[in-house]
Parts: sequence; C-alpha cells; structure tokens
Amino acid sequence: MTVSTAPPPPAAPPAPPETRRQRRRRERLVARDSEIPVELYGLPRGTITLLTVLAFLFALFTLIPIAWILINSTKTQANIFETFGFWFASPFQFFHTFGLLFQNVDGYGTFIQWFGNTALYAVLGGGGATVLAAFAGYGLARFRFRGSQMTFYAIIGALLVPITALTVPLYLSYAKAHLINSIWGMVLPSMISPIGVYLMRTYADISVPRELIDAARIDGAGELRIFLRVALPLMVPGVLTVLLINVVAVWNNYFLPLLIFNVNTKYPLTVGLGLWSNRAVNSGNANLYPMLVVGGLVTIVPLIALFLILQRYWRGGMLLGSIAN
Amino acid sequence: MSAIALADLTKVYATGVTAVDRLTLDVADGEFVVLVGPSGCGKTTALRMVAGLEPVTSGTVSIGGQVVNDVSPRRRDLAMVFQNYALYPHLTVYDNIGFALENAGVPKAERDRRIRAAAASIGLSDLLRRKPRQLSGGQRQRVAMGRAIVRDPAVFLMDEPLSNLDAKLRVWMRAEVLRVHKSIGAATLYVTHDQVEAMTMGDRIAVLNAGVLQQYGPPQELYARPVNLFVARFIGSPEMNLYEAAFDESGALVLGSQRISLGQAPSPPVIGERGAAPGQPVIVGVRPEDLALCPVGTPGALAADVAAVERLGSEVHAYFSIDARPAGHPADGGVPSAGTVVPADEADALPGAARGGVARLDPRAAVRPGARVTLRLDPARLYFFDPATGLATGWPASQATPAPALPSAPALPSGAN
Repeated sequence: MTVSTAPPPPAAPPAPPETRRQRRRRERLVARDSEIPVELYGLPRGTITLLTVLAFLFALFTLIPIAWILINSTKTQANIFETFGFWFASPFQFFHTFGLLFQNVDGYGTFIQWFGNTALYAVLGGGGATVLAAFAGYGLARFRFRGSQMTFYAIIGALLVPITALTVPLYLSYAKAHLINSIWGMVLPSMISPIGVYLMRTYADISVPRELIDAARIDGAGELRIFLRVALPLMVPGVLTVLLINVVAVWNNYFLPLLIFNVNTKYPLTVGLGLWSNRAVNSGNANLYPMLVVGGLVTIVPLIALFLILQRYWRGGMLLGSIAN
Repeated sequence: MSAIALADLTKVYATGVTAVDRLTLDVADGEFVVLVGPSGCGKTTALRMVAGLEPVTSGTVSIGGQVVNDVSPRRRDLAMVFQNYALYPHLTVYDNIGFALENAGVPKAERDRRIRAAAASIGLSDLLRRKPRQLSGGQRQRVAMGRAIVRDPAVFLMDEPLSNLDAKLRVWMRAEVLRVHKSIGAATLYVTHDQVEAMTMGDRIAVLNAGVLQQYGPPQELYARPVNLFVARFIGSPEMNLYEAAFDESGALVLGSQRISLGQAPSPPVIGERGAAPGQPVIVGVRPEDLALCPVGTPGALAADVAAVERLGSEVHAYFSIDARPAGHPADGGVPSAGTVVPADEADALPGAARGGVARLDPRAAVRPGARVTLRLDPARLYFFDPATGLATGWPASQATPAPALPSAPALPSGAN
C-alpha cells in the first residue's frame, strides 16, 4: 500500500510548562492583539472624545451613591446631616458604629443576626434556584418531549409577572401551608427562577454540543451521568452567572420576607434595615442613622466580593478543542 | 453470521423527507465497509441508526444477530468516532479514553492498564495528561480513535473521521485507521463522502444516493462494473466522461458530429442481450485514463478541442470539448440520480468547459489550451448505459471476468456478489 510510506504527521511541539501568571499574561496579549485600535473605527476624533466624556460622566453618576455611603459610614449622625455629603468630617466613628451592628439596639433586632439570615436564605434559595435552573435549562435545551416548547414559553411568560401581583394569593396560601415565619416560606419561592431557567437553557444550547452527548451515550453513560460529568462542566460559566443573579435577587429581596416574617429574629438584612429606617425618624437613638449607613455598606460588600470571586470563572474557551475548527 | 445487518432500513423525518430508503446491507465480522455518497445522501443518518442515536422509521438494525432497533446505544456494544471527534473538552486525554470504561464500572487498575495499552497502540502515550484543546487536529483524531478502541467493541462506527484533517495527514491517517482496524478486528462501518477514501479503505463499498443504495461491492467491482450512471460518475477521479450517442448501421458510434469506428473490436459490449438497435440512443462512458493521444485516422479516434490543461506532475488532465451532448452535469457536484439526463436546453446553458470531458494523459503529453487533439477511445474500454433508466448495459469487456448479470431494477438489493 502506497500510503504507508507517507511521512508520519508532524508532532505538535511539546507544551512548555506555563505558570498561571504567564498564561494570564499571554491571554491578555492575545486579547489586545485581537482588538481593533480606536483610530480604525472610522469615527472622527472629536466624536470619540465626546463619547468618552459622556460615558465617564455617566459612570460618575452611577458611582455617586457608593461614594456617599463609603464617606458617610465614617460620620456621626449629626455630621451626616450637617456636613458636606461628599467629604469626610471628624470624628471618625466607623468602627464605633460597626460595633453597634453586633448589638440588639432598642430591641429592634440584631444586624449580625439578619446578616446570617440573609446569607442562609441566599445560599439555600439562590443555590437551590441555580441547581434547578441548570437541570431545567439543560433538559429544555437538549431533550424533546411532549410539551417542552409550551413549558419553555410558560417560563418566559412567568418572567413578565410582577411578584407584587401575587401578594394576596401568596400570603393566603402561605398562611394555610404554615409557611409564615418559616424559613421555607422564604427559601422555596426563592428557588423559582424563570430568568435562571431561561438563561441556562440558552447557555446549555450554546455550550453543550449534541455530538458530545451522543458520544457519551455511545460511551455507555446514563443521562444523569452525562449531565453531571459532561454537560455541567461545560456549563460552568453560565451556572455561575445564574448563581450570581439568583443570590443577588434573594439577598436584595425585600417584599417576600416582609410578607412572611413578623418576628425580627427571622428578618433578612433588607427588612431589618427597613425597620431601622422607619424607627430612625422618631427614635431618640442618635446612632440609628449611622448604623443604617454602615449596615447598608456591609450589606453590599459580600455581593461585590462574590462578583469579584466569580469573575475569574467567566472565561470562555471551555469548549476549545472539543469540536474541530 | 454478519456483525451488522440492515434490512429495509428506512428513515423518514417528521418533515416528510426520506433520508434513508429501504437500505439493506450486511457487514461481516472483521470486515471494513464504507458507506459513500454525496452530502445529504443519508449515509450519516444510516450510521446514526446503527448507533442507536436516531430512531428507525421502519426496517431493522441487527448487531451480532440481534435486532437492536429499541436497544439504547449503551447496550449495543459499539464504539463510534465522530466527524468532529466530540472529545470531552474538560477531561484529559487519559479520562477521555477511560470514560467508557468508567461508565462500565471497570476496576481502576484494569482501566489504567487498558487506557495505557490503547494509548500506546496509537501513539498517544506522551499526551495522556493533556486536554483536547492542547492537541493538534491529528492528535485529537487519534484520541477519538483511542476512545473507541479501548472498549474492544464488536462494532466500530466512523462518521467521516478524517474530513477535518489536512490533505497530507488524511492520507497518513487512512493507513493508520486500517492498521487499527486490522488489529482489533471489529466489523467497521465507515462513512465518507470521499470516493478516494472509499476506494482505498473499503473491503466493500456501499454507494448511496438520495437515501437509496446504488451498488454494494468491492472497490474494483464498482470501478469496473458500475451498475448505473450514478455509480459510474461517483467512483473514479476525475469522473467518467459520459455522452449521449448512438450506433449507426455499420456498428460505428455516432458521437455528436463525429462517427467513430470501433474497428475490429469484437461486437461492442453494448450489443449484448439488450443490444441497441441502430439509431437508438445510448449513453457512452469513457474513463479519463482510457483516453490517449493518437494520430489522426486511428480506429476510435476522436477529435477534441482542449479547453484547459492541469499539470499535476505525475499526470496531465486535459479538459476538452466535443460537440456531443454530455449526459448529466459534469461540472455539477450534486450528481443527479440514476437515469436523469440533462435536458437539452439545460446542457446548452452550461459553459463550454463544463460541457467537455477530461482526459488523463501522460505527463509528457504535448497538449496546450486551444489546441485541437485527437484522442483514442479504446473500444474495449467503453461503458454503456441506457439513457431511459440510467442502468448499465455494457462494461469494458476486458475487465468482465465472469461478468455478473447486468442490473435490471433501479434499486438494487445488497450483496452484489
């Protein structure tokens, strides 16, 4: 046979061991190379400058509340009201106020307990919602079954229903189901995430090639195993996006816990801070406003941290090498 | 007992499209069978039905004598190599190869031994720790092979496994795939659209067109005795030249305005049991390699105008035109189904070069575009087809050792011999 005399295929050069830092650097350089310099956009210089200034102004506008909360978390109640809002004033009493967050002030409840509650609800509700969304999204993206299209449309439709419209039925049915003042009353509804299912379906559709599922079936894997061992690892960036969305949604949820909790030991941060905010107006306690500000700051810090931690997983290219070209 | 047997296998999609139409063929133990046809001919659908990835509309798929229509892929004891390899991108080469064994619950120690043995047999030992994205195309292809052979399957399916490789690598991998096939000995069904791949690799070749099996037999038989116009055109590169023609009273072939004496050749094969009466149209086929330059006046000489010349080094392809009407679109990739002859007006609309034929000449042949040359048609090397049905009515006599019966029905049953 003539073909056997053909030379063997060229071997790929041995991959040099690459540290994480080197890889990051290489990826950054590759990304820079693939960008078109702004000079080549075909826009006049003046337009680019104008757009940049506008974008900068908008960014500033967006960041104003954050700056305010950072600055005012260091002030006394009097200074919050009497000094310039965007600069510091002495005394610096951030740590004093922060310490108060661990105490039950005036019997309204303890901030740190609310923090724990919120974290618990967010982990159970947001995590549960993400698990369910991953299963549902993959199922809707990769299985055809009777009613699969209808199910998906119903989920899209559910995106449009405001939770406020459901207040009365929700409250009445929870009362009957003994879910008032139960953490399940908070967690179970939080696990329903139409937007999560929608995003997971879209993401699974893009990131899990049908051929890979075929290959896994040929390789003798059961459907659950295919999901866990083949599909899920490819869906990780999408799963993390949905996780973040769900955790933030539960973390910031005010309406639902207001409805179902009437003891302040069960409150999440949102409802607790709302309570303080109501009381602060009339209360003689001169610390409530600073506590609101610092409490607000402490409330948003975990979300920012979560975003920064997850951010490094939003790297594409998971699929590279699985499918030719 | 055949390893794979398909009986009247049919696939009709919900849209009403019939992808595979009563496909019947068998693959013996250890045999390498190639399913070949143009894109969209149903070959991949047929393969996916064998794999169990596509439900069967009617007919049966049997593996090892068992009908497996309703058996899930994981219980069919088969391995498959996908066109795009379908490697698990997040797993290392080692885990990619071992995934099937892991699913089968093979103990870790034995798994390790088998993965390493499979990897060694296809030269992947040094790459076991790599992820697919760190591999070249050829290496990925070999991982896909490794994943299949590690299981020691009874049946091996391959769906255009080489189509994503560059030309050189593809030639090398053809030999590699055959070597692996010989070493594991599993019955193999191999899908490709590339007739060269089919000819070089298959023990037997099944040619499919529009879901219908055209011919099933060893490569040489398909080449020498194509049962219809489709197979004649599909097998062989460059493709066979096909023209509408007729015989006159003296037995000479009338090709356009030219009258070609077939000389003393024993009665042309076309005049077989179903011989063509004088004046009755036939389609005459001549392979490019059966044309040669000759002096004017030689029996069988054909005058032709050279339109273009491709010098390949080892040979020369001379594209020529004559004033006879070609049967079908020579330039059209999608070959019409058996029996179709291009209507006159359509053929006239084709550009000049497309209407011509091609001759495969000696590299030293003095031909240049625009020249008028004389080509010799070897009377013994002509193929004849019935223009009404597209079926073969005569093959080159010299190759017909014991000539099998000429085809009589458009859809042929399997197992030509």
